[in-house]
Amino acid sequence: MSLNEILANEVANKVINKEPLFILDVRNETDYNDWKVEGETVTSINVPYFDLLDGVDELLPKLPKDQPILVVCAKEGSSKFVAESLVEAGLTNVSYLSGGMKAWSEYLYPTTIYHDENVKVYQFIRVGKGCLSYMIISENEALVIDPSRFLDVYENVANNDGVKISHIVDSHLHADHISGGRDLANRVGAKYYMMKSEGAIYDFHALEEYTHIEFEKVNLEVLAVKTPGHTPGSVSFLVNDKLLFSGDTIFVGGLGRPDLGGKAAEWAGDLYETVFNKVAVIADEVIVLPGHYASLDEMNSEGFVGDILGNIRNRNEMMKTKDKTEFIEKVASNAGSETPPNYEEIVAINRGIIPASDEKKQELEIGPNRCALHHKH
Amino acid sequence: MNADKILDVKGLACPMPIVKTKKFIDTMESGQVLEIHATDKGAINDLPAWANSTGHELVKMDEEADVLKFWVKKV
Repeated sequence: MSLNEILANEVANKVINKEPLFILDVRNETDYNDWKVEGETVTSINVPYFDLLDGVDELLPKLPKDQPILVVCAKEGSSKFVAESLVEAGLTNVSYLSGGMKAWSEYLYPTTIYHDENVKVYQFIRVGKGCLSYMIISENEALVIDPSRFLDVYENVANNDGVKISHIVDSHLHADHISGGRDLANRVGAKYYMMKSEGAIYDFHALEEYTHIEFEKVNLEVLAVKTPGHTPGSVSFLVNDKLLFSGDTIFVGGLGRPDLGGKAAEWAGDLYETVFNKVAVIADEVIVLPGHYASLDEMNSEGFVGDILGNIRNRNEMMKTKDKTEFIEKVASNAGSETPPNYEEIVAINRGIIPASDEKKQELEIGPNRCALHHKH
Repeated sequence: MNADKILDVKGLACPMPIVKTKKFIDTMESGQVLEIHATDKGAINDLPAWANSTGHELVKMDEEADVLKFWVKKV
């Protein structure tokens, strides 16, 4: 007894519900500093497993006496090894993360975030990476926004609600994760939309040709506000004048980064046009639902990542920077040197230029998300 | 690069490549070079970090047909 396996979804529940969690991360220091399990109630220490091969005696004083200990590594093997040593040393409440950080990177937490007489909206939180995707359900149909490659999760939610996924949109060509859009569309027979200007080479419905996507009897209007800025073909979706799915253009805590295409200043100019001409006319009460978050601090009291536009405008210094030159300078200087891991390869896969096995996709996506230009806390 | 010994840990997953490397190098003389062949990608970051932590010198790293090769000089 006493060595338990903990699943990624159990860890996600603890992080989101703000339960205390003590983590002993046994990966090497570089990987730990780059990316780890984080949350308001998470305490973690890093001691690489290869420093524990001769025993855990020196480690014991660093561990809490009265709290369960979760050991985490890249894939599971080393955490199990260390956890077993801790149990042998007499500790009674030790567990390891099943599947390691790989499993953590892939877990999606689905939650209902909005419900009115016309639509019901789910947010899927990829807790380990900070990616968000959505499903909008109306009557018997559903539209999915920015799906990840874990198609079963969306299919299961649609099946449970007894609806058919009929439309799938990508707000832009992702640079930080592999899109599940095309595969999900093929699997469920849905229409798949993206901006043509994003450079994908397979067949899809070009969003350039749509001002609205309408489905079902309910007046669910999907207005594509073409908001260049993050990538030249970034799009936001305004649903029923109540919800703005902002993709990677506007976040709860900041703006998207325009530097990933190597033309930071030009795109920063597009982002300026978006913020001050297109988003400026949208009402303060509209709920902004972004494609990413930088930290779970961005989760609101209702338990999802999003906020009304008025609050975001008030908080965000960039959105108050009306001088275009100053705005572009600020964005370009904030852009930073850290890019999402493997972003050039991920972009090529999302464009359909190079194929990739599931294993390759998994490997490329491991690591933190760096798509948001967020303020340092 | 001439090695005094060769250790094959291909097909083994983390933590075994390092566990075996440590055990093996413990039997070697100071200044001798161990050549390690591994396939677990975790070794790319872990082996240099382990060498750094123990004081052994990572002399060279290479990849040939999906096999990772490391040359480590015992401290």
